[in-house]
Parts: sequence; C-alpha cells; structure tokens
Amino acid sequence: MSNMLPSILNGHAMNEHTPLEAQVITVTSGKGGVGKTTLTANVGIALAQLGRKVVVVDSDIGLRNLDLVMGLEHRIVYDIVDYVEGRCRLRQALIRDKRVAELFLLPAAQTRDKTAVNPQQMIQVCDELRKEFEFILIDSPAGIEQGFQNALAPADLVLVVINPEVSSVRDADRVIGLAESQGKTQIYLVINRVVPARVKRQEMLSVEDIKEVLSTEIIGIVPEDDAILSASNRGMPVVCNGKGPAALAYRDIARRLSGEHVPLEIPQALGWWQRLFGKAS
Amino acid sequence: MEALNRFFAKSNSAQVAKQRLQTLLAYDRLEIPPGVLALIKDDIVAAISRRVSVDCEHVNVNLLHEQNSSKLVVDIPLIANRGARAVRSAGRSNAR
Repeated sequence: MSNMLPSILNGHAMNEHTPLEAQVITVTSGKGGVGKTTLTANVGIALAQLGRKVVVVDSDIGLRNLDLVMGLEHRIVYDIVDYVEGRCRLRQALIRDKRVAELFLLPAAQTRDKTAVNPQQMIQVCDELRKEFEFILIDSPAGIEQGFQNALAPADLVLVVINPEVSSVRDADRVIGLAESQGKTQIYLVINRVVPARVKRQEMLSVEDIKEVLSTEIIGIVPEDDAILSASNRGMPVVCNGKGPAALAYRDIARRLSGEHVPLEIPQALGWWQRLFGKAS
Repeated sequence: MEALNRFFAKSNSAQVAKQRLQTLLAYDRLEIPPGVLALIKDDIVAAISRRVSVDCEHVNVNLLHEQNSSKLVVDIPLIANRGARAVRSAGRSNAR
C-alpha cells in the first residue's frame, strides 16, 4: 500500500531551484470524462510556473486532446508515433508552450490506434525524456486496455482522477488494483468536480467517504468551476491566469508534487451570510 | 415522522452511495460475481440438509467487509422435526 511508504504529502525541505530527479507521473482514471486531460494540462503548466522543467505527454493515441485543451493544436508536425517509428528525433516532436519558461508537449498521433506504441517503447521514450525534464506528466486514455497499460508502464507516481460519483469511484478502485499489481506504490487520488454545497446537503459523496472507501491518499481536491469550460474553449487552461477555485487547487497539487508541504483543504459550502456578503466576511 | 423519514431518505443519497460502493468493491476486490453467493447458499443448504432440517426460506449468506478483510457470514435456521417436542423458544435456532 502507498500508505506504508514515506509520503510525498509530508513534504520535504526543498529549495525551489534545486533540480529534482526526473519523475514520471501518470494521470489516469478508468472512467472517461472525469477531467484527466484538464488536470494534466493545468498541473503541467503550474509545475512549469514553479520553475520546473516539464513535459506533458498525450498517450491517447487515436483520440488526442491534450493539444487542444492547451491551445497547441496548430503547432503539431510530428508526434510520439513518428518518434517511436524513427521518422523524427525526439526534439522535433516536442512542442514548446511559449506561455511558460520550460514546458513542452509530446502529442499523440491522431490517425493511428493504441497498438502503435507498446509499454516497452513508452518506457524508452520516458527514459529519454528523463534526461531533459524534471516532470514527465502522461495523460492516460480512459479504459484499462493497452493505452492505459502504455501510460502506466513508465510511471513512478500514479494520479487517479475521480469524480464524487459511484461509477467513477468503482473504476478508480479497479485502476488502483491494476497499478498495485504492476508494482506501483506511489498512488494518489485527485477528487475532481467537488460541489461543496451538494456535499453539505449529503447528496454527494464527501472527501472523507471517498478516502474511506478507496483507502488511498488524496493529493488534491478540485472544486467544480465554471471557468474550466471556457478555458478549454479558448485553449487557455485556468492556471495560466485564473484565480478561481480550480486554478488554486491545481496550483496546490503542483506544489505538493514539487515537494512543498501544502495542507489539504476540503472546500466548504458558503453559508447564506457569506454568499450575500462575500467569502471574507 | 413518516414525512421526516422520507425527507432524510431523499437527501441522504451520499450515504446510500457509500454503502453500495463498500459492498460492491468487496465483491470486485475478491473477484466474486454477486450471483455466486446464491450458488454458495444452495450448496450449503444441500450439505446441511443431509443431516438436519433447514428452514430454507430464511437462510442468509452475506459477504461482510471490514477494513482489511472480508468474510462470509452464514445464517442457517433449523426446523425441529415434526413429532419431536417443539423447540422451547418456539422460534428458529440459529446455527452460525
């Protein structure tokens, strides 16, 4: 169990500019549509904003979307399959995100399928990327088939994204079991799209409920935020300039991954007084 | 009171979700299809019935899940033979 090992959540004294040993982080969920791609984009950008060298990898071959969410869709020339099959060098397939200092995207191929890359090749690609980057974030496809296996194989750390909803929690349990059976020990939950008012009315699973049911550590809680949809409409993830609850939550996750100790805050529903007169009162 | 109960039953769906998940995940983790419990029940009833009379209607086989372990809890009420003296409690005796 991940609980037995020294947890990254305890934080470790770290100068922000000390380079970190490269870490491959796989973002997965089992169920589709829970916010993996949005999380990968935002946490990737937030890590780069902290001064880290970051590459985000889209492993959803045939259904690539990370480029679109990040607003980099027009700049793709080569993709991961081109590199694996020897049509380009790795540098040529990496797209630089000019909004931040050190952030690159390795896009998936759109016209091929999951079998175009195998887990061994993904490990090799990541070993190459480890030489250049501190954080390698892999956006996994939904499901537990080969695309998921590709994304899982090179992972040092697994982020399981869930929504507070029964089918997402069940799928997450399966994914956690599969990751553990592959020898992964660093597995953390991100609870996405939490609506504090509905949790308060006891019509939505709470953070405590989910933690108890899945007995897995939580690394982030992201409240539901209207800004997310318009951010992906524009290809400008919320952490780029947003100050809303989701942007704050993604930045906290990045800081925790970067070794900082940031206490986990459970979002609370506002009372009628706060709703009327603002959160500060 | 009735109305109050209905009110809580409706608003407390998070609790229902949690309980359903805990049961379902116990089955998932053990890789037992839920229907297998009914088969196990039939097997147990058949085995016990060879020796004593079982109140088949009221046999219960449940999967109990705790933090790190799961166990089967089996409840088998027995029937006193006709002609024999009634069981003093007049109820069912439970073999666990």
